[in-house]
Amino acid sequence: MASVTLKGITKRWNEFVAVRDLSLLIEDQEFLVLLGPSGCGKTTTMRMIAGLEEPTLGEVFIGDRKVNDDLPKDRDVAMVFQNYGLYPHLSVYENIRYPLKVRKVPKSLHSEKVRQAAEKVQLDHLLERKPRELSGGQRQRVALARAIVRTPTVFLMDEPLSNLDAKLRVTMRAELKHLQHELKITTVYVTHDQIEAMTLADRVAVMDHGIISQLGPPEEIYNDPANLFVAGFIGSPPMNLMKGKLHDNNFQHPNFSISINHEANLEEATLGIRPEDLILCAAQKGVLQGTVYAHELTGESTLTTINVGPDRLTIRGPKEFKINIDEAVGVQFEASKCFLFSNQTGERI
Amino acid sequence: MRDRHLKYLFVLPALVLVLVTSFWPLLQSFWLSFREWKLSRARESRPLWEPEFDGWETWPYLLENYQRALEDDLLWNSVQVTTTFMFASVIVSVGLALGLALLLAPGGKFRLTVRTLLILPFAMSPALIGISWRFMFQPDFGLFQAVFGAVVPGLADVDWLGDPTFALIAIIGSDVWHWTPYLTLVFIGGLANVPRDAQEAAMIDGASSWRVFVDVTLPALIPVLAVGIILKSIFSLKMFDQVYMLTNGGPGNATQTLAHYIYFHGFKYYDMGYASAVSYLLVIPMLGLTWLYMKLVFLKR
Amino acid sequence: MGNSIRKQVADLFQFALILCAAVVILVPIYWIASGAFKQQVDVFQLKLLFTPTLANFNEIFRSPYNLHEKLLNSTLVAGTTVIVAIPMATMAAYSFSRFRLRFERTMFLMILSTQFVPAVVIVLPYFLLFRDLGLLDTRLALVLVNLSLILPFAIWMIKGFIDGIPLDTEEAALVDGSSRLQVIWNIVLPMALPGILTAAIFCFILAWNEFLFAVIITNSKAVTMPVGLSLFHAEEGVLWHLISAAGILIMLPMFGLAMIIQKHFVQGMTLGAVR
Ligand SMILES: Nc1ncnc2c1ncn2[C@@H]1O[C@H](COP(=O)(O)OP(=O)(O)O)[C@@H](O)[C@H]1O
Ligand SMILES: [Mg+2]
Repeated sequence: MASVTLKGITKRWNEFVAVRDLSLLIEDQEFLVLLGPSGCGKTTTMRMIAGLEEPTLGEVFIGDRKVNDDLPKDRDVAMVFQNYGLYPHLSVYENIRYPLKVRKVPKSLHSEKVRQAAEKVQLDHLLERKPRELSGGQRQRVALARAIVRTPTVFLMDEPLSNLDAKLRVTMRAELKHLQHELKITTVYVTHDQIEAMTLADRVAVMDHGIISQLGPPEEIYNDPANLFVAGFIGSPPMNLMKGKLHDNNFQHPNFSISINHEANLEEATLGIRPEDLILCAAQKGVLQGTVYAHELTGESTLTTINVGPDRLTIRGPKEFKINIDEAVGVQFEASKCFLFSNQTGERI
Repeated sequence: MRDRHLKYLFVLPALVLVLVTSFWPLLQSFWLSFREWKLSRARESRPLWEPEFDGWETWPYLLENYQRALEDDLLWNSVQVTTTFMFASVIVSVGLALGLALLLAPGGKFRLTVRTLLILPFAMSPALIGISWRFMFQPDFGLFQAVFGAVVPGLADVDWLGDPTFALIAIIGSDVWHWTPYLTLVFIGGLANVPRDAQEAAMIDGASSWRVFVDVTLPALIPVLAVGIILKSIFSLKMFDQVYMLTNGGPGNATQTLAHYIYFHGFKYYDMGYASAVSYLLVIPMLGLTWLYMKLVFLKR
Repeated sequence: MGNSIRKQVADLFQFALILCAAVVILVPIYWIASGAFKQQVDVFQLKLLFTPTLANFNEIFRSPYNLHEKLLNSTLVAGTTVIVAIPMATMAAYSFSRFRLRFERTMFLMILSTQFVPAVVIVLPYFLLFRDLGLLDTRLALVLVNLSLILPFAIWMIKGFIDGIPLDTEEAALVDGSSRLQVIWNIVLPMALPGILTAAIFCFILAWNEFLFAVIITNSKAVTMPVGLSLFHAEEGVLWHLISAAGILIMLPMFGLAMIIQKHFVQGMTLGAVR
C-alpha cells in the first residue's frame, strides 16, 4: 500500500504534448479518478505510472520510491485494460494465475489464491473456459480477478467499464466500489464518463489537453467548478453558459440583466447556471424571456430548451410538465446559484 | 535488459544477414562490371583501365563492358524479348485474372471449390512447369499440339518450340498459366473489400450491373489492380526458370530473356565482368518498379 | 418471367466459363501426374487409356538418377533454411511491430526491397565467393543464398501476424510481472504460432521451388529436385515418363502445404498489399 506521486511529468511525442507538466499526489488507499474528454491524456498519464511509457520530463514515485527507471514488472502495480488484455490462449484459471506464476509465488498457494480472487468477482464456475467463450462482463471480471489475485501496491484501471452495455456498467460500478472498499488499495481510475467518476471517486482530477484543470472531491467539482472547462464538462446536461458584461454588480446580457454581488468589472464575462437551477414561468415574468425550441421527457424529469437571443438554455423541470414548441416563456433563477467566469482566463471569478 | 537495447539486438541478425546476402553481391557485381574477368582463362579479375598505366585520356575504357553490351545486337534482342514477354504476360494474365475474379467472387460451394484449385499452379515449381510444357508442346505426341490442333485446324502442323513466334507464345502461355490463378486470388481479395453497400446503393439508384462495375467496383479495385500489375511486371522482368527449361532461349535467340542472357554470358562463357555490367542494365528498371511497388503498398498506411 | 430466363442463361454461361477455367488449370497437372504412371511407349501415344505402372517410381530412385539424393538435398536445404530463417525473422518482426526504432522505415524497406533484386544478378558474386571458399555444389551454399531469398518474406509475414496481436495483452503481461523476454515466450509466441507456422510453410515452398541458384551453384552432390529434372535424358531422347514421376514428387507435397495455408499464400507474395 502506498501513495503515488507525480512530479511535473510531461509526455511528448515529437512536437505533440500529450501530458504537460502534471503534478499530482494520490494518497494511500485513495480512489482517484482521472476524468476528461477523449484524447486529453488520461491513458498516457496512467501508462506512465505503470511504466508502459517513459515520461519525457518529471518524476514518478510510488510510496517513497522513485520508479522512473523501473520496468513495469518491478513497480508492483496491477492494471485493468480498456480491452481487458486477456491472454486468449490461456484458460480463465491460467489467466488469473499468470501474475503469480511470473512473480514466483510458491506453486502451492496458486490454486487457493486464484479461487479466492475468482470468488470475489463471481467467476469461480467459469475457470476452465477460454476468454473467447465469455461475455463482455465476464471478461471484464477476469481482468479484475487477474488484478486482485495478488495484493499490488496500486490498482490502475483504464476505462474498464466502457465496453459494457449500460445495465452491466451500473452493476459493475457498484461491484468495483465495493471491492475497493474491501481491499483498501490505492486506485487510479481513468474514465470519460462523469457519472462513473462521481460515483466512484474519493477525488476527481478533471483533465483537459494534458493538464489537470481541477482536482477535488466529486461534490466540489460539481458544486464549485474552478473554470469554464470544468463547468462545461461536468453535469448532464452541462451547465448553461451565457456571454455578457459585468458592470457595477450587474451582469448584462443582450437580452436581460441581473444584479449580482461581484465587485469586478469585466467587458467579457460568462454567466453559468445549471439546468436544475432554472425555473420556467409565465411569459413577461421572471428574469429573462425566450421561446421554446424543444421539449424532451427523459423519464425522471423533462428538459426544455429555449432560445434567448444568441443563446440556448436548457431547463430541467418536473416529469409531468408539458409545453408547446414556439411558446413564449419566462425564466426565473436566483443570483446565488450563478457562477461567473472571466472569458479571458476561463477561470471562475 | 531494457527494451532500448533489446529491440536493436532483435533486428540485428536479420538485418546483417539481408545486408550481407543481398547488398554485398550487388556492390560486388557493380565493381566487377568495371573489370575484365574471363573465368575460364584467368584466376583474378583485372581492371579495364588503370590511370597510371593507360593514361587519363583513355578513361572511357572503364566503361568497356557497358559499351560492349550496348553495341551487342543480341542484348537488344533479349531486351526486346523481355519487353514483349513482359507486356504480353502482364496484360493477358491480369486481364484473365480480373475476369475470373469477377466470376468467382460470389460465394457458393461450386465457386469456393474452384477457388481452392487456384492455389495449385502457383505452388508448382516454375522449373517443373517449364519442362512439362516442353513435354506438352512436343510435335506428334504433345498434349497441347493435339488439343490446339483439334480446336484450330491451322495450328495442327505448327512446330511450337521450333518457331520463333510460337516459342515465345508457348513461354507466355506457361507463365500465364502459372500466374493467372494466383492473381485471381489477389483480385478476389480486393473484390471482398469493395464496399457492398456502395454497390447496393448504386443498384437502387438504378444502375445496370455493368454501370455498377464501372462506377463503383472498378475504382475501388484500382489499388489492388495496380499492385497486381506491378508485382507481375517485376517477376516478368526476372523471367528465367521457364525459359531455361522450356526453350533454353531458342530457337536461336528468339526467346532469350535478359536474365537468360546474363546467365549465358556468366555461366556459359564465364565472362563475369560483362555479365555483371549487363545485370546492372536489368537492375535499373527493376529499381523503378520496386520503388513504385513500395510506394503503392505503403501509401495505404 | 423473361428476366428470370435471362438470369438462368447468364448463370449457366458463368458456370461454363468457370468450369473451363478449372479444366485449364487441372489438365496440365493431370497430364504430368498421369505421365508418371505410363510406360514409356504410352507417353508417346497420346492415349487417354493406358495400363498404369509404378515402375517409373522405382526407376528414378535407381542409378544413374538416384533421385532420393536430390529429394534429401531439397528437403535438407529447404528445411534448414526455414529453421534458420524463422527465429531470426520472428525476432526482427517483433521489433519492427512493437518498437520504434531509429531508421525503422529505412531498415524495413531495405529488407523488403531486397526480394526484388533479380537472383541472376546476385548469383554471380555468390558463385565466385563459393568457388573461392570451396563451397560450390554444397548444401550449405544453397542454404545461404536461399536465406537471402526467404528472410524478407518471412519478416513481412510474421510482422503481419504479430501486428494482429492486441498490444493490451502484452502490456498486461508486463504489468503482471513479466520481463520482455517472458512476454515474448509466454504470450507472443503462443499467440503468433499459427502465423509463424504459416510463414514457415510459405518459405519452405519458396525454397523448395527455387531453381536459378541451384542450377548454377550445384552440379552433382547438392543437386535439388527442380534441377534434377534435367537429368532424365538417354540416348533415345528425353525420358518424359521419368520426368513426370519426379514432377509428382516435386509438386504434390507443395500442393499439400499450399492447401494448408490457403489465403496466407496470396498475402505472403504480395507483401500483404491485399488484405
Ligand atoms: N504512441 C503515441 N504516439 C503519438 N501520440 C500518441 C501516442 N499515444 C497517444 N497519443 C496521443 O496523445 C493524446 C492523449 O492520448 P491518451 O492519453 O490515450 O488520451 P485519453 O486516454 O485521455 O483518451 C492523444 O491525442 C493521442 O493521439
Ligand atoms: Mg484512453
